[in-house]
Amino acid sequence: MPNRNHLANDMGTQHYATQLGIYDEMYATENKALPHWERFMAALEAMGSEQLELRRREAQRLLRENGVTYNVYGDAQNLTRPWRLDPVPLLISSEEWAIIEAGLKQRAELMDLILKDLYGPQSLLKKGLLPAELIFGHDGFLHPCVGALPKQQRHLTLYSANLARGPNGRMWVLDDRTQAPSGSGYALENRTVMTRVLPDIFRQTQVRRLSGFFHALQQGLVDIAPHNKEDPRIVVLTPGPLNETYFEHAYLAAQLGFTLVQGGDLTVRDGRVWLKSLAGLQAVDVILRRVDDSFCDPLEMRSSSQLGVAGLLEVVRRGHVAIANPLGSSILENPGLLAFLPRLSRHLLSQELKLPSIATWWCGQRREREFVLKNLDSLVIKPINRSLGNHAVFGGSLSNAEKELLRQQIIAKPHLFIGQEQVSFSTLPAFIDHHIEARNAVLRNFVVASGNEYVVMPGGLTRVARQKDNFVVSNQAGGISKDTWVLAKEPDKPLSIWTQARRPQLLDVASEPLTSRAADNLFWVGRHLERVEATTRLLRTLLQKLREALEFKDSIDTQCLAVLLRTLTQVTGTYPGFVKCADSLLQAPEQELLVLAKDGNRKGSLTANVQAFGQAAFNIRDLWSHDTWRSIDNIQRRWQQRVVNVELGVEQLQKNLDDLLTGIVAFTGLTAESMTREAAWLMLDSGRRLERALALIALLRSSLALRHEEPLQNQVLEAVLVATDSLTIYQRRYRAVLQLPMVLTLLLLDETHPRSLAYQLRELTAHIGVLPRSKGKSPLSEEEAIVLKAYTDLRLCNIQELILATDNAGIYPRLEQLLADTTQLLWRLAEVIAAAYFSHAQTSQLMVQTATEDEL
Amino acid sequence: MKYRITHSTLYHYSQPVGLCQNEARLQPRNVAYQRCEHSHFDINPKPLDLRERTDFFGNRVAYFAIQQAHTQLVVTAISDVTVLPKPNRPEQFSAISWEQVQTWLRETPLSGSGQQAEFSPELFEARQYVLDSPMIPISPDVAQYAQASFVPNRPLVEVVHNLMGRIFNDFTYDPSFTTIATPLADVLKFRRGVCQDFAHLGIACLRAYGLAARYISGYVETLPEPGKARLVGADASHAWFSVYIPDTGWLDFDPTNNTMPLEQHITLAWGRDFADVTPLKGIAFGGGQHTLTVSVDVLRLD
Repeated sequence: MPNRNHLANDMGTQHYATQLGIYDEMYATENKALPHWERFMAALEAMGSEQLELRRREAQRLLRENGVTYNVYGDAQNLTRPWRLDPVPLLISSEEWAIIEAGLKQRAELMDLILKDLYGPQSLLKKGLLPAELIFGHDGFLHPCVGALPKQQRHLTLYSANLARGPNGRMWVLDDRTQAPSGSGYALENRTVMTRVLPDIFRQTQVRRLSGFFHALQQGLVDIAPHNKEDPRIVVLTPGPLNETYFEHAYLAAQLGFTLVQGGDLTVRDGRVWLKSLAGLQAVDVILRRVDDSFCDPLEMRSSSQLGVAGLLEVVRRGHVAIANPLGSSILENPGLLAFLPRLSRHLLSQELKLPSIATWWCGQRREREFVLKNLDSLVIKPINRSLGNHAVFGGSLSNAEKELLRQQIIAKPHLFIGQEQVSFSTLPAFIDHHIEARNAVLRNFVVASGNEYVVMPGGLTRVARQKDNFVVSNQAGGISKDTWVLAKEPDKPLSIWTQARRPQLLDVASEPLTSRAADNLFWVGRHLERVEATTRLLRTLLQKLREALEFKDSIDTQCLAVLLRTLTQVTGTYPGFVKCADSLLQAPEQELLVLAKDGNRKGSLTANVQAFGQAAFNIRDLWSHDTWRSIDNIQRRWQQRVVNVELGVEQLQKNLDDLLTGIVAFTGLTAESMTREAAWLMLDSGRRLERALALIALLRSSLALRHEEPLQNQVLEAVLVATDSLTIYQRRYRAVLQLPMVLTLLLLDETHPRSLAYQLRELTAHIGVLPRSKGKSPLSEEEAIVLKAYTDLRLCNIQELILATDNAGIYPRLEQLLADTTQLLWRLAEVIAAAYFSHAQTSQLMVQTATEDEL
Repeated sequence: MKYRITHSTLYHYSQPVGLCQNEARLQPRNVAYQRCEHSHFDINPKPLDLRERTDFFGNRVAYFAIQQAHTQLVVTAISDVTVLPKPNRPEQFSAISWEQVQTWLRETPLSGSGQQAEFSPELFEARQYVLDSPMIPISPDVAQYAQASFVPNRPLVEVVHNLMGRIFNDFTYDPSFTTIATPLADVLKFRRGVCQDFAHLGIACLRAYGLAARYISGYVETLPEPGKARLVGADASHAWFSVYIPDTGWLDFDPTNNTMPLEQHITLAWGRDFADVTPLKGIAFGGGQHTLTVSVDVLRLD
């Protein structure tokens, strides 16, 4: 019989139906809500469901704006999925938390001791306390790591566990996470958002703060540094933006003040790990890794991995770098271990296990195997190794043939399987479609070794299934997250994340090293952004001309339109486009124009460049200020929602182009006002200047470098001035006289005009001059020499000479030559910059004899 | 018997390599019937960082890094080894049946309980070689192929002799067929391969029946054909397998030559399969296309 409560309100909490035999967080097994829930629910009910829905949406908006995402594998089209947050948190009383906290600390201690033994003396195996097959048969046991644990008080720096409450009301551990536990960043972000959307309720409820945990995490990582204990360099090693929890990697790096790196950003030399930064190699002391351990060193482990650092394990062996968690710690995620933990706890800690694990039978033992085979129908069967196509099955849901196959597999290699009890997790209230409903929940906790003890985050990441009665709670399956409120007896003072200096001092400004990968991405953010801007402005000019041509049916308008259409193809590089096309396309270009705006699959289209801009910016998510990220998100989202996802004609396109320009201006304004003029800015702005120069040249080459008759010439000149946002300034300077030499002077040579070629080259020269670079013996680096040549050639040119018509070829050959030469130099410049500064791009290869030579 | 082994690997790159890290298992280990008197590397360009250690399986490993730009790398290992004669007639060995060994490996406690209170390092080690390894997954096909050799109550030594002979007869030696990446299933299906594949197959057959077997990398001395001069550098790496027999220890079998290694086999290293004992591997940054040439010379000194 469902348990119903008696509160009447519009949220339907009176219909909150718990299930018989399943524990509910709010009601326990009683008919009345637990006191701490009662107060909280009363506050929610006072608010009403409409208001709560508004708060929920506000939370989603904040999360989206902050760029909180969870990537779903195999979903390249729609790479990031917004993080979902339910406004009803999980409440845990302080009495109960004390029990959970003690249990987690004990378990972390136990795991640490097991790890130390397995990669050290292996006495647990030798004494028969753990079967050798369970360890040596698990993919997480990495042979090269034996004997490679550093001298530290604790080896397992990070520990995480998934908890759920069983029918008897006790908390059970479902599984242990020791490889590279994820979720703490999401938990922090959930909390940040909750305090903004439910500020009153949060304030009235005495909730334990999370900042202490992150402080402990910072300290814990400093603790394990083998060198530079005063100020170690700590990096967060991520597999990259395609990883499911990339947001969190970037977020934690930014929150904790660490450098976010990928494998290619690091290198091993002289037995140390170094960060490849724009300013040269910088020693790394600690790696917080989010790359699976077997991928971390292609030399000694998976040779095909491009995510790691060759030689890393050798550096670990020599004690010159600390990794949290150590390589090899995924052995502790072996679910077969659960069956042995009570015994190991007695042996290693002389204590009973405080938090029980879910009942587990390892099939490597005869009695346990027989039990599992006899009870296949009522158990969950899991292989101890997680891999593709190799996952847990509910025995009862198998057909007879499948069951027989599973039985055969277990008998053939019993040590690779476990049986587990099917547990009914507890339910808790969730706000689903304007109603409070009961959902099954799993709580992930986080523990970090810091100072002399393990510190547990008072809170965690609670996840519920979207569907009712669904026990599979996972982010990949589209679950919803919740904040977790551990109630305090007394108000908990928030702890600042800032480190307290021991005495007042003026620290040297340690400018954060810019990794070559970040430099690369910044450069491309600038280039893509400028491509978007140049295309947008030209397209806008073109649509205006198209309207005039249709309205006035003047042949000059039509001719000018044709020039602009061909120019658009040249500027965007979308050949053949309007170059060498049928007249019919020039007369009715609307369809092609829409494709060039909308189609993300068309290289050079606006959408393609907007997406490339967004991706490059996402790759360095940790470098942007909050507001800057919001402006990036705005540009992408509005374009996607208002142009890409809808049917629209060229008329509506015009308005959206204006909107896009506004978005770009917001971004450029924010970056100009908030970025320090250091390497990051130099890279971003160099990318912009380079691309703006190239776009301007492409525009001029297909418009003004061609000779036109007088009336057409005037129209083309005007269009070029509009497309370069230079019409107003031209008019102010030269009044109503529209002439080629003056337009060229303004657009090519005027160094005071931020859209002129000379301005771009001058800025590039200045930026490149201050980039860190060893020049060798020559006074100028190669990139300095190239940009100097381009700049000097331009300054030395004479406009009147450029437009001498030497033959009847229909072009101004000297102008064309200057522009073509400058293009070549700029392309070369981009190559040289990439080779000099983006060293992470160098790929590694495995050298091994592939064919076995042999003899008889 | 005394040998001088010169194992030389030449890498040539189309573009400069700025940095490479390498791991070499090219120095022979000391074993019951073999002593490595002396062993050293000659590497060009000279590595600024070179460190030797012993790996999990007890093999000698050298880590070295070349940190200056280069377009060519030569790694030469020179070792003097004495190989002592081994007992080689089957009747000298234990007559314990394969079923008894299987049960013994599976059931014997490592220590602590029952009569056998002493921890047995041999058993602990042997057990690790019963399990699947990355390059040797045990499939029903393997077990089926092996079945003919596993006659009930046959002494294990006889089983392995029979198995070795069958692999020798059933499979064609064909260097053009396999690379180090060829899966065992293909070797079994097409009945072709080289020494490494035959060693893997032998190990797979034994493990399929719950026995302990490991992979040996090494060299074999080749004798010139009668009347012809010995060719320097024409030898090559070789591989075979070893099986664990209680009270006797590990016994080597060479299925490529259908023989039990005697004084002409020189052991370099052992592990669960080839991946554990790759003689030389490296990760290079840059380099474009690379070519690799190996020459091995096994010279008898006395």
